[in-house]
Order: sequence, then C-alpha cells, then structure tokens
Amino acid sequence: MVKMDNLNTNSLPGADTIFRKTFANGSTFLAYPNPTSPAVFFRGLLPVGALSNPTGKSGLANLLAAMLSTGTLQHNFQELNNLIESCGASISFSGGSLATLFSGQCLKEDLPLILGLLLEMLSQPAFPQAHLERLKQQLSVIFKMQAQSTEEMAAQAFDLIYYRGHPYAIPELGLPETVSSISLDDLQDFHRSYFGPRGMIFTISGGMDSEKTAELFNQIFSSWEKPNQAKQIALPEWQPHQQAMREHISIPEKSQSNLIVGTNGPNGLSPDLHTNSLGDNILGRFGMMGRIGEAVRERSGLAYYASSSLEAGLGPSTWKVYAGVNPNNLDKAIDKIIDELKRFTNEPVSREELDDVKSQTIGQIPLSLESNAGLASFLLGLQRYNRDLNYLRNLPGTIEKITAQMILEEAQNYWRLDQLVITSAGSTK
Amino acid sequence: MQFKGTKNFSGQEMETAIARTGGYSNAFTSPDWTAYFQTIPSNALETALRFEADRMVNSLYDPEEVETERTVILSEREGNENDPQFLLGELVENASFEKHPYRNEVLGSTEDLLNLTRDDLYGHYRNYYQPNNAHLCLAGAFEIDEALELIKKAFEPIKSHEVIYSIPEPEAQIAKSQKVEIYGAEENNYLQFSWRSPKASDPDFFAFSLLESILSGPSSLNMFGSGGIGNRGSRLYRELVENQLVATVNGSLTATIDPGTYTVYVTCRDDHSPEEVIEALDRLIAEFLSKEVSLEEHSIALKQARANFAYSIDNITNQGYWLGYAQTFADYAWFTEYVERLEKVSRTDILRVARQYLDPAHRITGIYRNRNNGQNG
Repeated sequence: MVKMDNLNTNSLPGADTIFRKTFANGSTFLAYPNPTSPAVFFRGLLPVGALSNPTGKSGLANLLAAMLSTGTLQHNFQELNNLIESCGASISFSGGSLATLFSGQCLKEDLPLILGLLLEMLSQPAFPQAHLERLKQQLSVIFKMQAQSTEEMAAQAFDLIYYRGHPYAIPELGLPETVSSISLDDLQDFHRSYFGPRGMIFTISGGMDSEKTAELFNQIFSSWEKPNQAKQIALPEWQPHQQAMREHISIPEKSQSNLIVGTNGPNGLSPDLHTNSLGDNILGRFGMMGRIGEAVRERSGLAYYASSSLEAGLGPSTWKVYAGVNPNNLDKAIDKIIDELKRFTNEPVSREELDDVKSQTIGQIPLSLESNAGLASFLLGLQRYNRDLNYLRNLPGTIEKITAQMILEEAQNYWRLDQLVITSAGSTK
Repeated sequence: MQFKGTKNFSGQEMETAIARTGGYSNAFTSPDWTAYFQTIPSNALETALRFEADRMVNSLYDPEEVETERTVILSEREGNENDPQFLLGELVENASFEKHPYRNEVLGSTEDLLNLTRDDLYGHYRNYYQPNNAHLCLAGAFEIDEALELIKKAFEPIKSHEVIYSIPEPEAQIAKSQKVEIYGAEENNYLQFSWRSPKASDPDFFAFSLLESILSGPSSLNMFGSGGIGNRGSRLYRELVENQLVATVNGSLTATIDPGTYTVYVTCRDDHSPEEVIEALDRLIAEFLSKEVSLEEHSIALKQARANFAYSIDNITNQGYWLGYAQTFADYAWFTEYVERLEKVSRTDILRVARQYLDPAHRITGIYRNRNNGQNG
C-alpha cells in the first residue's frame, strides 16, 4: 500500500513552491515552474457563465465564449488566428454554468505575444456579425448530432428532470430556438456587463519563471479595469428532488443504449467530499470500474463500460452511474446497478476495499502532476475551490482518517434508492 | 483477454496491485501493433515488469471468460456503430485497400467477433507474444542500469520461439478513384476523403507531415495528455469553413509500417450538398498541386511542428508511447529527431509529394447522407 511515509509530501507543490498573487484589478495569478520544459500551459476563468444568461437566451454565455476567437478590435478573424497558429500556440474558450473558461499553450518564447492576444480576446472582442451567423449554423449542426447521440440525450434528459426548475436543467449549449434568437446586441450587453478582471483566475505551468511571468501578466492585464463589472447572478435556492423518476428517449436505429442512474451528490466545497470520493471509487471506478464494472461488465458482459462518477461542482451536484448497453440488456443492467447500490448503502465497504482506494488516492497524487498541463489545471482548481496552497501535502493525512463507517453514512445520505433518477436513450426494444 | 488472468495472477489481482500504487494500466491496438502500458510511481517498476512479463506468456484465455469478453467487445462495437462517422470511416478504409489488412476495422466486424474461437485467440497470442517480437520502452524517473537489471530479471527467463508472420503486400497506391455511400437517420451529412500516404519510414513521410499541416492543420502528437494546435489557418479551413460550405473540416495522417491513408473529415452544413463540397475540395486540391507552397506557409508548418513536439513531451506517458511507437516502424530516433528531419524538407519536396499522393484519380470519397434529405443537402 502507498502510505504517507512512502510519499515525500514536501516534494509536492505547496505554499513554498506555488506562486500566487492577486493584482489591483482583482485578477489572481498562480504559477508553478518546470524549468526543463520548452513550453508553457495555462488555464483560467472569468466568473460568469450560463447562470447569468438572460431569460429566453440560454446558450448565450457559451456562444459568447466561442465568439471570443472570431476577432478583436485590433485583429480580424484571420489575422488573430494566424498570429496564434503561426507560432504553434492555441487559445480556446468554453462557456460553463458558472464560469467562462480558457486554456492554451505555447512555446515559452511566445508567451508575451499570446498573453497580449488573450487580453484582447477577453476584453475587446469585435463580435463580427458574419461569424455570429456562421457559429449559429455550426451549432445547428451540433444540435442535430446531439439529437442522434444516445449519450448526450440520456445526459440531457437526466438534467432536465433532475434539475427541474433550476438553470442547470438547460444545456449550457442552449436550445435550438434560444440560440437562434441571440443577437449581437445580446452578446455585447452581456460582455459589457459581466466581462472584467475581477475574479479572473490565471494559472500557468511550464518552462517560465513564476515571478517574471507574474510581472509580465500584470504588465499586460493591469490595463484592463472595469469598476462597474456586474457580479454573476447568484445560484437560486434548490432542493434535491424527492421522488423516483424514469425517462427513456427513443432514438431509432441505434446499436447501443446509454443509461444514467443518479442522485444528489456532494459539491466541491463539501467537507465530506473526500469521504464520498473514496466511496465512489469503490462503487464504480477502482480497477476495472469498481463494483459496478465488476457486476455489469466483468461478470455479466452486459456493457463495454459501466462506472460511477461524482460530479462535484460549485453548486448543486450529482452522483451518477453510467453504462452503455445493448438495448435488450437495458433492464438487466439497471437491476444489476441497483443491486450494487443496495449493497453500497446497506453494508460498510470491506477493510480491503478501503485500503485499496486509500492507497490509490495517495499514490495518484504525484502521478496526476506528470504534465505541466495537469499542473495548470490543478492550480485552477486550487483557487476556484478556495483550497489551501498546501492542499496536496495535507491530502494524504485527510484520506488516512476516513473510515468504512463514514463512507456508509455518506452513501446512505446521498443514495436514496426510492428517489433514483434513471434516464436512458437508444432504440426501444 | 490479456487482462483476464494468467496462471500466476488473476486479472483482478494484477488490476488491483497496479491501481493500489495510484497507477493505471491499459492496452490499445493499432493496425500494426498492440501496446500494453502502465503509468506507475517509480518504486512500482519491478511489479509492473513482473506483470507484463507474465502477461506475455502465461495468459489463460479461459473459455468462459472468452464468452463474457465477446459480449463486452460486441457492446464496444455497438457503441461505435451509434456514430455515423464510425460507419463511414469503416467503409472508406475498406475501399482504400484491395487486400491489405489496413482495410479492416481494428475492432473487428460483428461477424468475426461472433465467430472467433478461443483457439483462434490463443493461437494468435502464442505466436506473436514473444520477447523477440516486442519492444519495451521506459520513460520517467529511473536509473538506467537499475531498470535494465529489473528488465532482465523479468524477461530473460522467457524463451523466444520463431514467430510465424503473415506479411501483407504493401499497396503503394489506391487502385482507382471510388465513391462509397451510406445512408442513415442522422440529419447531418458527412464526407471523408482518403488518399494513400507514405509509410512512416519513408523519407517522404516528413514532407507529407508538412503537407498535412498546410492543407488541413497539424496532427497532434499527443496520444496522452492535452495539446493540439487549431487548423483555422489551413487551406481547407479557409476554403470550406470560412466560405461557409461546411461546418467542420480536419485531417488525419497516421504513421504506419506500410503505406497507409491520409484522411480528411468533413461535417456538412445543411445549406450545401455533399456534391458542392466535393467540387470545392477538388478545386482546392488542383490549386494546391499547381505550385509550391509559400515561404510563409512552410515556415509556419515548421514552427507548428516544433511546438507540437514540445507539447508531446510534456507528458511522460506520451514520451514512452512515442519511443515504442516509432520503434515499430523505424527506430526511436524517428521521434527524437522528428523536428530536425522536418527542417530538411523543402517546398519542392512538399509539392513533389503532394503531386505523387493527392491524385484525384486515386482517391476514395465517402459520403454519409441523411436518408430523407441527403440528396439535396
């Protein structure tokens, strides 16, 4: 077993090696250097997402994120993308529920150019009308693809019934009818209100020097000020559903059906997150997809994949089991999954199972940092979830204290088997 | 079946032992090779080597496990069949070769998956899984001498037998231009264009890599980890997406032992028919073949290659992957000297290789049409 004694926690990123600074305009910069790398990898966010979409305009925050790459007041679409791609760099954006996320990479010598372009894209997008129409066309293609995707339709059906009455019920991509109604004015108004440096997080790892890069970042981004930057709309009150629900979306001519069995889960700020994470690992991740994988795939051969996932965000969160099965085996797979959930909520996990997942979780810590891209993502999570800079160094101690009884109590707290939400999509047999 | 247990360890024992270290193991199959990999803390190297050595000769292929795994793989195939682009890709690859096994989908056809016997599988295993038919690659934190000792300890006791190879005849050219079509329920239309590409050990492969970068954007060198470069500056993107003919376009060039394929994938918009897109692509390729690429395009493609290489070595698992991959068709220097070799490619080389391979008379065009409206776009 990987024990704390085998892991040199001081070699992990911590308060003495992670550089963090919050600047006057409200942006926060974090860096972790790796001098041998010829490249740098960055991640970041602005704290505004789909939650702030105006009524009837779902998909706006996502569409706006896509529009950021279509030109700025200084560079049109072709000039902008030529500048980025010609040095082998990338900058991409996506619109989430609570944040607009960005990520990118470049050779280290190109960082000043790329940071300058990132600022332009975030603060001075041109929103060209022709590109808005083009992106809407591309989205209409994606909506058609999604309508035929059993995986996507099962997921959308889950959100729709599970989060009924909450903004999370609507896909971040929006709906065909709402996206088609989004105008340039809508995008500009949203950008004018919410986009600014306050609450921005920028993280970077790779072959740069942390302090010099912080200076460079400040030199470039300090010009971006927005005293009247609006705050993200607050998450509405929401109570988890209290009844069982079942929905099947029929999509003809599909060889495989996708299945989701889910319930309420802890969010990323919850003090019981690590207890549930260990529980989830035993339920449907460890080895070949944990107990669920063993029951549904290994022993029954019912599915290529069958696993569980704790989806802990900043707001309401879910705990789900996923499977891809032959349409004829759908009911059998549901029965097998529910049998495993009964076991998970009725009896403590074994000492051996608990040892396995503790050992794995502690052993994974250094491996999860094998790349600079992974480190930049880790730094983003650290800041976003307001974690201590020594989070990783303290994690093994937190994990060691978790008991089988704690996992059982948490499992019973979240998995109410008379309140499961089950959705599937595929051919109806 | 290689994860289902050996005479020394059950599948679960091996899986659990690796998972307990925090590491992970898996396998994947290309048309040319099968790779088993483990990413583990450096102090677990001996365990990992012991399992891989054991897996090379002692797997059981229990008949009952074969039947369970058969339904699992059929289920994997069913999942893939849900995607119209998988179905189209299978059709296009099949048409791109007359006899060479590259024409077959790696996962296998449903018919073959239903008919394969335990003895078929075990015979394949016993023939090909030999130390003299394997490459072992390590990347990460270890001392070379110590690692070599561990490797010897694990693998030296395994005696190699003569491997009976089934060496296919390479197909240097797609015999003739062909259009293959498939109809389905999805509303979007899709296109795939396939041309022959040089084998990876052919010096022309490097010219083809730059050609690909300029025409459809550079392929990422990352099998593991993140990192890729966009293709908005590529000729195909500018011609097809910017002119609002298609929703997406990208290309793929794979390093293979024998001549393989370079494939361009298109997602059509509903306001332009597949035929209009084919016409536009034909015009663009004709223009591409008419003169050398510009100095600027050439230098951008080289810079992108340098960046792609830097991203590919960011991830240690990916470093190991490339050392092993390159060794199957050339040697590991193919990868470590990748950028230097690309720098030797001239614009004349690119044009020559484009004219040799992108001949419309030797291209497969695959079309997936919506059953109801595909004829009209």
